[in-house]
Amino acid sequence: MTVASSPQEREYSPFDLTSSGFWSQPFASRDETFAQLRAHEGLSWHRPMPSMFELEEDGFWALTRRADIAFASQHQELFTSARGVALDPMPAEVQQIATFFLMMDPPQHTVYRRLISSAFTPKNVRRIEDQIRKNAVAVVDDLVGAGEVDFVAACSARLPMMTITEMLGVPPSDREAVALAAEKLFSMSDDEYSTLEERAQNTINEMILLSNTGIELAKFRRRNPGDDLMTSIVHAEVDGHSLTDEEVGAFLILLSSAGNDTTKQTTSHTMMALVDNPAQRDWLMDDFEGRIAGAVEEFVRWSSPVMQFARFATADTAIAGQQIKAGDKLGLFYCSANRDESVFDAPQKFDLARAPNPHLGFGGGGAHFCLGNQLAKAELRNLFRELLTRLTRVEFGEPDLLYSSFVHGIKRLPAYIQ
Amino acid sequence: MRVEVDLNKCTGHGICESIADDVFEVQGDGTVHIHEDERPESDRERMQQAVTQCPTAALRLVD
Repeated sequence: MTVASSPQEREYSPFDLTSSGFWSQPFASRDETFAQLRAHEGLSWHRPMPSMFELEEDGFWALTRRADIAFASQHQELFTSARGVALDPMPAEVQQIATFFLMMDPPQHTVYRRLISSAFTPKNVRRIEDQIRKNAVAVVDDLVGAGEVDFVAACSARLPMMTITEMLGVPPSDREAVALAAEKLFSMSDDEYSTLEERAQNTINEMILLSNTGIELAKFRRRNPGDDLMTSIVHAEVDGHSLTDEEVGAFLILLSSAGNDTTKQTTSHTMMALVDNPAQRDWLMDDFEGRIAGAVEEFVRWSSPVMQFARFATADTAIAGQQIKAGDKLGLFYCSANRDESVFDAPQKFDLARAPNPHLGFGGGGAHFCLGNQLAKAELRNLFRELLTRLTRVEFGEPDLLYSSFVHGIKRLPAYIQ
Repeated sequence: MRVEVDLNKCTGHGICESIADDVFEVQGDGTVHIHEDERPESDRERMQQAVTQCPTAALRLVD
């Protein structure tokens, strides 16, 4: 494989990361390809991902090693988010509706981030942890003795949506519509949810529904302040900046997807792993309170719910000795970083005692590090406490996997639960 | 040793607070406030973890 220094000399890697054939494979099979790329010098250049929009691109560099992804993530002056963070070619204007401050760089990003970061700090998550615990108890109340269920709908999907919609004060009558729109937005890749022809329009429709819900809620809370996150968002001010209603709408889209789908997927993958690894489950239960914090990190590393995000190079630069041109697109494959054999001993092993656990499940670091990481961990701690102490029998059938190059997802998980 | 924050880099993720909430506290404006920045040597491990895990590399230890 040549290490090229200009677009004309660039050859596409013999390793395919683009085709539907590749992404149809299970996670572990795909990682065999990522392992080859991790072992190769420099970076690999790949054909552009298929696009549902009319957009032509040359290709993208694949970053597959933890160190390289951390480097790119932490040098936003070299690798910008402002031109887009979707690996699939997608117009920046469309991406902006759904990504809000994900598509900003500091210093603009910093202003928006600070407007809401206080709601997601450890202290604030502790304030609402009692409510999270109550909701986790309620979810598992409905599972005890349930018999045959779809674990995704009956368990995984429930707590994240309850948590986020309660934090935001979304009216109960709107919550199901919000949940459905968020799910459709993040499952757009899968044929079950929409045909190829409908996808582009449907993406926009779901975003508009979520944005409008956010806008209505923002207007309501400006007039009728409550004790919720939405009220503090609309009233927050940083450096003379406060959010417009449209920006609040954009934020709701982001929270409905980022704050919802990710934790749901981690729950499903983790429960499968615990059922498949009873010795790990027993180890955890021997000292749940002492071990759950470390275990949750392994839940996230194992599940890698967000498999990649993209960046664009702002200047001619280099990563791992690979020359990169200004304007080149990069794919940061967190799913590969989380199996990096130079970082993790036995990375294919679900090991709840793994320490340290420098996974990139919440991103590669830098200003865009997952805002919801403390909240996600609190939800997982509380949910798995209930699941593992109160259910006496959990058996799974074959999972129905989500087809996606972005979300590591499970659509349905047949289960028998007592 | 002393632990210091570069407020231009801090975006209030609160990883530091989750490691040592007696020392780091994210404020309403989204930046961290450090209580008792002069730390005893016995606290070096926690402080080093906070420095290493800060997603924006906003913290540093000064001996």
